[in-house]
Amino acid sequence: MTAAVSAPVDHPWGRFALRRFGRLLVSVWVLVTAAFGMIHLIPGDPVRGALGPTASQELVEARRAALGLDQPLWQQYLDYLRGLFTGDLGVSMNSGMPVADILGDRLPATVELAVLAFALAVLVSVPLGLAFAVLTRGGRRRPLELGFTSTSVVLAAIPEFLLAVALVWIFSVNLGWVPVAGRDGPSSYVLPVVALALAPAAILARIVRVETLTVLRADYIRTARAKRLPSRTVYFRHALPNALTAAITLGGLLLGALVAGTVLVENVFAWPGLGSTIVSSILAKDYPVVQGVVLVYGVGVLVVNLVVDVALALLDPRSTIREG
Amino acid sequence: MGRVLRTPLGAAAAGTVAVVLLLAVLAPVLWTDAANAVDTGQIQQGASADHWAGTDSLGRDIFFRVLVATRLSVQLALLATALGVAVGLLLGTAPLLLGARAGRVITAAVHIAVAFPGLLLALFFAVIFGVGTTGGLLAIGFALAPGFARLTHTMVAGVAGLDYVAAARIAGVGRLRVLFRHVLPNVAEPLVVNATVAAGNALLAFAGLSFLGLGVQPPDYDWGRLLGEGLGAIYLHPEAALAPGVAVVVAGLAFNLFGEAIAKGVGLERRLGTSTSRFRRRPRVAPDPDDSAMLVVENLSVGFPGTTPVRGVSFSMRRGDAVGIVGESGSGKSLTALAVSRLVEEPGIVEAERLSFLGADLRAGEHRRLLGTSLAMVFQDPMTSFNPTMRIGRQLSEVARHHEGMDRRAAMARAVDRLAAVRLSDPERRARQYPHEFSGGMRQRAMIGMGLMGKPALIVADEPTTALDVTVQRQVLELLASIRAADDVAILLISHDITVVEQVCDRVLVMYAGRIVEDLPAAELRTGARHPYTKALLAAVPDMTTDRELPLTVIPGRPADPANLPPGCAFAPRCPLADARCATEDPELVENAGARVACWHADVPAEVIS
Amino acid sequence: MRELRFDGVSVRFGSRGHRVTAVDGVDLTVPAGSVVGLVGESGSGKSTLARAAVGLVPLSAGRVTLDGAPVPTRGRRPLQMVFQDPYSSLNPRMTIGATIAEAVPRGTDRRAEVARLLALVDLPDRMTRYPAELSGGQRQRVAIARALAGRPEVLIADEITSALDVSIQGAVLNLIRDLQRTLDLTILFISHDLAVVRYVSDTIAVMYRGRIVEHGPADTVLADPQDPYTRELLASTEGRSR
Repeated sequence: MTAAVSAPVDHPWGRFALRRFGRLLVSVWVLVTAAFGMIHLIPGDPVRGALGPTASQELVEARRAALGLDQPLWQQYLDYLRGLFTGDLGVSMNSGMPVADILGDRLPATVELAVLAFALAVLVSVPLGLAFAVLTRGGRRRPLELGFTSTSVVLAAIPEFLLAVALVWIFSVNLGWVPVAGRDGPSSYVLPVVALALAPAAILARIVRVETLTVLRADYIRTARAKRLPSRTVYFRHALPNALTAAITLGGLLLGALVAGTVLVENVFAWPGLGSTIVSSILAKDYPVVQGVVLVYGVGVLVVNLVVDVALALLDPRSTIREG
Repeated sequence: MGRVLRTPLGAAAAGTVAVVLLLAVLAPVLWTDAANAVDTGQIQQGASADHWAGTDSLGRDIFFRVLVATRLSVQLALLATALGVAVGLLLGTAPLLLGARAGRVITAAVHIAVAFPGLLLALFFAVIFGVGTTGGLLAIGFALAPGFARLTHTMVAGVAGLDYVAAARIAGVGRLRVLFRHVLPNVAEPLVVNATVAAGNALLAFAGLSFLGLGVQPPDYDWGRLLGEGLGAIYLHPEAALAPGVAVVVAGLAFNLFGEAIAKGVGLERRLGTSTSRFRRRPRVAPDPDDSAMLVVENLSVGFPGTTPVRGVSFSMRRGDAVGIVGESGSGKSLTALAVSRLVEEPGIVEAERLSFLGADLRAGEHRRLLGTSLAMVFQDPMTSFNPTMRIGRQLSEVARHHEGMDRRAAMARAVDRLAAVRLSDPERRARQYPHEFSGGMRQRAMIGMGLMGKPALIVADEPTTALDVTVQRQVLELLASIRAADDVAILLISHDITVVEQVCDRVLVMYAGRIVEDLPAAELRTGARHPYTKALLAAVPDMTTDRELPLTVIPGRPADPANLPPGCAFAPRCPLADARCATEDPELVENAGARVACWHADVPAEVIS
Repeated sequence: MRELRFDGVSVRFGSRGHRVTAVDGVDLTVPAGSVVGLVGESGSGKSTLARAAVGLVPLSAGRVTLDGAPVPTRGRRPLQMVFQDPYSSLNPRMTIGATIAEAVPRGTDRRAEVARLLALVDLPDRMTRYPAELSGGQRQRVAIARALAGRPEVLIADEITSALDVSIQGAVLNLIRDLQRTLDLTILFISHDLAVVRYVSDTIAVMYRGRIVEHGPADTVLADPQDPYTRELLASTEGRSR
């Protein structure tokens, strides 16, 4: 695209890819190091903590050796990195199962939940935000604006797990339409997905509206109106792409938050995903599993951010240059 | 703050916050015993007159437990917020205090941390600090910090780049004093707002953590714990889960809405100005009743709530005319141009006794096709007047495609042709480029080219050269002049620069405070101006012939505020000739020998003024 | 009374691969007690040169000296600057008096000094006002008073009239002229407007793409421009005011 008209020497897309990839590497390194460091930052002996005060000293020593915790720190770090490259994330302190297997078992349920919820949030919020922006631009329809703003503020402020509890009470306990918990058939997806999607949808709809209003005040919209283009062209061709570029940045942050929100929602619905795994592992002090889940969540968030940046670069021809 | 309380939302939020804080202080004192009373005869009961929200697995009253839990919940939320805000402020202001290099490292670290959602950070820290109240407190505090650090950093960087900070540094003011005296006071409002919202979020986050069993541990309890306990028995009696749930939502919302209300109140204070409405009908001043007139504007007014920035403007133009409107900021010249082009948006109201263009009455109907093809606009800032996400060629060609039904190829061919007509080199390549790849002068040419996509009879150019360099200015003005000469296109040029108008136009309208105060041929500007404002404007701006030994003419006072006009002539407070009559009666625009002037003292010779 | 000298001053921005040279080997002398007008279009590097002189932008090469000594960056600053936009160059949360007092050197009677300075710029009795209560022209006069508070001998005025309404410009230009004469200041007066520069300056320097392309007594430069860019600039400016 823009590359065709630029000098081949400093190819903006090449520079963008290089810079973005470098940033991803740094972030992944920080994440991996943090996950590794986590186990060493815990005050006291994590193995003793996990096995409890009644375990014999020999057992603790043996488990320490099995986990490599008796090695020097740098050696452990290198072993950890080497393990990551070969897909070895250690074994669970409690069950003795390989962490990679546990993650592989639980990951699909969480990904399903997050993807469905994000799709729902975007499909609802973007048209809604755009419509309300157009309807309430320039101080029109004040009551409508007030209704929209207050509804979205309230929805955005209710945390997922409370919403989940309320939904369970209404639709499962009282109405009995859908199951209370578990992952079993399409109807069991409804409540977790809605609980996860509602707050991000409300926030995103507000952002889309505010961004669209800002864009509608821009000089180039006045230019488009001066060309006497029909309203639908002004809104969809001139306003929407520009409003979306701004909304995507925040949408990406929301998607990250949504990935994290699965932790709470999964616990309410006893959803067999990573979220329920991490909580039970933290409570059981099964640190290798916690490390693994933190890594997977972290990488998930970083990938989302990468996708957002690439989407931005595609949508906004200035972005590759702006950053440089 | 007073303004915040006066809005219903703000008052409600502030009231709820106050109640929550009061409960936090009083509830444990009053009801701890009631909350801890074990009654094995009343285990897991539903709501009743004795127990409004039922009882838990030990028969304790859940309603009282929710009330008592207010203190711990709010306390933890506020402490976590305080921790997060303090760490965030330190990290966010560090680049300013420590200098560029250390600052860059910190900023990069914050940037990476911000990418991870707060809950994930909280879980990470919860593992390190351990499960429990202190661990949760530290976890949520540190999880809040990166977001707050970035916010602080962005705002501090914004203010630190302003000239008053530069000026303070040049004056020898130290870094700490710059931070506390110049930077922080100017970012305090948004920081307070965000800290308030963050308190609400911390409350919700802590509830979540306790709900998961990672926060407050028994025998202590906060709302999150009560909620978690209640969820297990949601089939038996939902009140046990709903009561703490409602408490969390109400308290969290109250903090969030209070923050929002402060933000709104702060915004309001900026926007509200003193304004007095004034909408006077002016007696009709006859413009040229010539039927060949292409554009006729009679008694045009533009009103906004509270002010009328354009009042009774009348003029007309024939084919090929070049008319300039000159005035300072706030004179209403740009609004006049927008009103003529039918581009004033709500809440602006345009009224006119006549507003016709090429015989069509613009006051009624949309006239899309007529205006889209026969009236071209050129705006002041070529940097922002093109859609940044669309290629230039497409922005030009959509005019022809829409109004003349051309196909894509033909419309693009015409766009390339018009880019060539405005003397852009290599127009085919230029058409494929985005606006940001053009220089300012090139964009303004492309904007003029866009106006030429149809067959314009009138080009309305609103400060077309203000944003451009002098040498580029000349080229753009010459381009406009040559288009006018070639196709008999009329030009309405709006400018604050009287010399620009003088160069291009054959008639000049001088506007002050929303009215035309003088209308005269451009050639007579230097010799025949009769309004003291016109004369002063000419003398106040140095040109290449100004005598360097004499001081410049000064117009005392400040430009008139359209929202607050004096009863008589709007220029009277600044006018050396003003007398009692000028202060009470607003002079009409009177025609005399091909020129119009609105001044009681139009016949006083120029020497008296300067 | 001091002389401001630029010797081979260069300022480069950006890093690897993206280097932009804003100021390219500028030699310029502002003789003591005179006004040198520096004219050029946006992006010519004139504002960067000013910022470099007061230490807001680091030099990549060369040096800036006052009477042969480097410009001090601590203590009393004999070199001061007035900025373009009076709306962003005054702290909205500080009164006019506090803004000026901050720049008054320690050990002086600040109140009296502020009163004297405000009287100097013809704004008496405004000490307790906030910037929002003043017009653009008045704010610019406050900014001038602040610059004078450090008792500078050299002043840099960077586009000080371009953000002002035309009817206000004249008053600020007159003030600068009067102050220069009564205080015998050395001034580097920067503007994109050749007519304004011509009105206040003894000497004119023309900057184009980071370099000084022409430099000489005002009358000589205007009557007999040597550089093609100066000629174009002159033609454009004269075209505006036949």
